[in-house]
Amino acid sequence: MSMEDYDYLFKIVLIGNAGVGKTCLVRRFTQGLFPPGQGATIGVDFMIKTVEIKGEKVKLQIWDTAGQERFRSITQSYYRSANALILTYDITCEDSFRCLPEWLREIEQYANNQVVTILVGNKIDLAEKREVLRQRAEDFAEAQSMLYLETSAKESDNVEKLFLDLACELIREAKQNKLDNNDTAPMPGEGKTISYLSCCSLN
Amino acid sequence: MADSGQSSVKRCESGSVSSVNMETISALTELEDLERVYQQLCAEEKEVEAELDRLVGQEGSIHTKMLALQRMGPDLQLVGGDASQLSGMITFTCSLAENVSRKVRQLDVAKTRLYNVIQRADDILDLKFCTDGVQTALRNEDYEQAAVHIHRYLSLDQSVIELSRQGEESSAVDASLVLLQEAEQKLKVIVAEKLDEAVAAVNLAQVERFFKIFPLLGLHQQGLARFGQYLCSQLGSKAEENLLLATGGDLGEKRALLVFADTLTLLLEGIARVVETHQPIVETYYVDKFIQQRGYHNKFQIVQSSMMKSMPGERIEPRELDPVLTEVTLMNARAELYLRFLRRRIMADFEVGDAHSITQEHQQNVEKLLKHCLLSRMMQELIGYYIPMEEYYMRESVNKAVAMDTYEKGQLTSSMVDDCFYIVKKCISRALSSSSIDCLCAMINHANSLLESDFREVLYNKLRQGFPATTLQDIQRGVSSAVSLMQSSLQQGKFNTLGIESAENAKAAFLVRYTDSCTFTRSHIHTLLLSSRCNMFQGGGSGDQAKIESCLSDLVNTSSKFKDLLQEGLTELNTTAIKPQVKPWISSFLSISHNIEEEEFNDYEANDPWVQQLIVNLEQLMAEFKTALSPVIYDTLTSLMTSLISIEMEKTVFKCSFSRLGGLQFDKELRSLVAYLSTVTTWTIRDKFARLTQMATILNLERVTEILDYWGPNSGPLTWRLTPAEVRQVLALRIDFRSEDIKRLRL
Ligand SMILES: Nc1nc2c(ncn2[C@@H]2O[C@H](COP(=O)(O)OP(=O)(O)O)[C@@H](O)[C@H]2O)c(=O)[nH]1
Ligand SMILES: [Mg+2]
Repeated sequence: MSMEDYDYLFKIVLIGNAGVGKTCLVRRFTQGLFPPGQGATIGVDFMIKTVEIKGEKVKLQIWDTAGQERFRSITQSYYRSANALILTYDITCEDSFRCLPEWLREIEQYANNQVVTILVGNKIDLAEKREVLRQRAEDFAEAQSMLYLETSAKESDNVEKLFLDLACELIREAKQNKLDNNDTAPMPGEGKTISYLSCCSLN
Repeated sequence: MADSGQSSVKRCESGSVSSVNMETISALTELEDLERVYQQLCAEEKEVEAELDRLVGQEGSIHTKMLALQRMGPDLQLVGGDASQLSGMITFTCSLAENVSRKVRQLDVAKTRLYNVIQRADDILDLKFCTDGVQTALRNEDYEQAAVHIHRYLSLDQSVIELSRQGEESSAVDASLVLLQEAEQKLKVIVAEKLDEAVAAVNLAQVERFFKIFPLLGLHQQGLARFGQYLCSQLGSKAEENLLLATGGDLGEKRALLVFADTLTLLLEGIARVVETHQPIVETYYVDKFIQQRGYHNKFQIVQSSMMKSMPGERIEPRELDPVLTEVTLMNARAELYLRFLRRRIMADFEVGDAHSITQEHQQNVEKLLKHCLLSRMMQELIGYYIPMEEYYMRESVNKAVAMDTYEKGQLTSSMVDDCFYIVKKCISRALSSSSIDCLCAMINHANSLLESDFREVLYNKLRQGFPATTLQDIQRGVSSAVSLMQSSLQQGKFNTLGIESAENAKAAFLVRYTDSCTFTRSHIHTLLLSSRCNMFQGGGSGDQAKIESCLSDLVNTSSKFKDLLQEGLTELNTTAIKPQVKPWISSFLSISHNIEEEEFNDYEANDPWVQQLIVNLEQLMAEFKTALSPVIYDTLTSLMTSLISIEMEKTVFKCSFSRLGGLQFDKELRSLVAYLSTVTTWTIRDKFARLTQMATILNLERVTEILDYWGPNSGPLTWRLTPAEVRQVLALRIDFRSEDIKRLRL
């Protein structure tokens, strides 16, 4: 394994109905392309991209999941260790929006409660076919205390922003957590001896 | 010659216009200019003269040439006559040739017509022959022959047939055609019926016989479909039979469940065999292979739906799930194997077909087909059911192991850790055996969840609450062995603490085991992966590997969390098991007076009052740990213990008072202790005892001011660990040092 040359490592999992454009969003972000006619995702796909934010290297592990029901038990197993979830729907497909509460239930059940969730309405390039009004989605996201963003994987609209904003938010939370942890009392026992010991390897 | 001619022409043209014209000459007024022009004109004149001479010189040769030309005149007249004669002959030949070719063309047309006539006659004859032949063949139930006749008829040029119908014998041809068409329909029906019959009768020879007839009748697709259906139904019914055997037999439930995998295996092997045996036929008579494969998949539904029924269990005993789970993974592995077989087969066909046309697209299409085919989807669904069940199995089994947690004094280990790891390992191995990367990863994720949160919590809580004393004492009372009794009577009063100590040892031991297990699990998975990667995940791409690596790295993180927990546990062990014992041994120092004179000092010399006993006690304690704990844990624990000793010693020393010789005595005692501790631990303990050593140095001083020989600029290599206030405090422990002197010190 190579030296881990990054300051942060975050796991991001994309979820949402099949066909809303999760795979396209990931490919657009990680490879800079809009894949022509690739098949539906099987199980989960895994991609890595390292970005730099304010001089800090952030390694993003992106898990692209299959939307179909039969893969649900595979994809669910990734929720718990996720730092962030990108819940995606298709603005030209009312159905994909209506399924959001179902996805939120999944999140509630399987993800850890510190997870950052962002709602993404994809395919805004198809404005003339829009079925879900922006305001409606924004209201929904706000009610569920999620961030909201509209994207187009095809036109590369807001895709970069989606992942970078998320990375920023995760860094912010990580820093906050570190502060909080430093505030809490040290481990039980003989105070200083622990810190002495903790530098000894116990392999 | 040409050259000179040209130049002469040029001269003639430019001759009339000299380089200097008259106007310019008359315009000249200066003598100088006139002279220059004159010179120029003279030069031109000379040039012209030379040219004239040259031309005159050529006159002779030109004259000779003129004479030669005049002599050629009559010859040329002769040539002219010959040429016109030749031309006449050529024209004649040409018209002759044209005549011939026209006739040849006419002959050609006649010949073509003749051929057509012959062909038509042949066709008509054929038609008649076919008509008769078909009927005879049909009467004789020689369907192959009949089909050959129909095939012949079908391959006749339909336009010729149409033409024939317009001829004189149209009525006869018409009759033949009607008969033939009737025969064709009849044959089609018969063949279809016969094939169906053969299929129903499971008569392979007959099936193949009629299967071969279909393409002759132009019914490739239909034949292929029927053949596929036949194979499916055959396999399906075989599967059904096997299933019936599997379910209907007198075997117990568990056995029956096991049989499903065998059934599927049989089925798949059967299919593979069928593909092997029938492919030549199919390839010879048919083109499209995919339909057949899709056809195969239909029958999986039969097996699978019956599998499914046995799956969504109510919350049942995890052990009961065991065989089903094993079987599903096996099924998936088999299916995967089967798909790989097909992939290989198709690729091989591609290569045979046309090595150049195997494009990336072809391969992608095959991948797509295989990934999204019914079988794949069914297996994905099956795995989808498998994962939550396996997780349930793992969680319930681990819960059980935790609930049944026992430990015996002799072993000093907890059964729980071993059991839990056995289960986790088993589940992951099983998931791995499914050959599905996603399935494996999902189970690693679940295992990780379980270990990191649930299991860790269990251990953490056990640590928090300490071992339940009742359980502990029950076990100890139960151990009525003589050894235990002797031990307890010998070390009266220590019964309980020893008990705790052992239990704590057990805790430490199982934590160690745990950490080892984590590493072990990981290395185990890695080994398994390495061995299976090459053949299992072909065509999966590097993405799969990255997935597994990533999931495994989570497991590594978990194991490091357990290291932290272990650290915590050891600290706990130190405070709850070691400290209560060591503390009184050290505070007994207080009862040994260090305010002593020569006589007592010598007495101590002969009869050690404290440190030797402490060392013996420590030795005993350590010996017990050494056998109970792994070297790493033991080492960490001794380190914790030495820290504890130095802290306790320091506290105790501050409560004593020392004479000059008492200080010397303490110095001696401290040296013995440090020397002993250095032998039992690999840690450098001098650092831990630095403060105490410095205190001993102070207690050994002759005079208060002697401290200045070691302080500040005189400290040399010594780094003081004591603050000036502490130095004064230690000095004050010496009863013979005056407090004014100490106060007066400038540190
Ligand atoms: N017009 C448009 N089509 C998109 C966009 N993103 C995805 N698609 C199309 O939507 C379909 C499904 O995309 P995919 O990424 O496979 O969806 P997934 O099932 O959520 O992974 C594909 O046909 C894509 O070409 C987008 O931003 N605009
Ligand atoms: Mg996808």
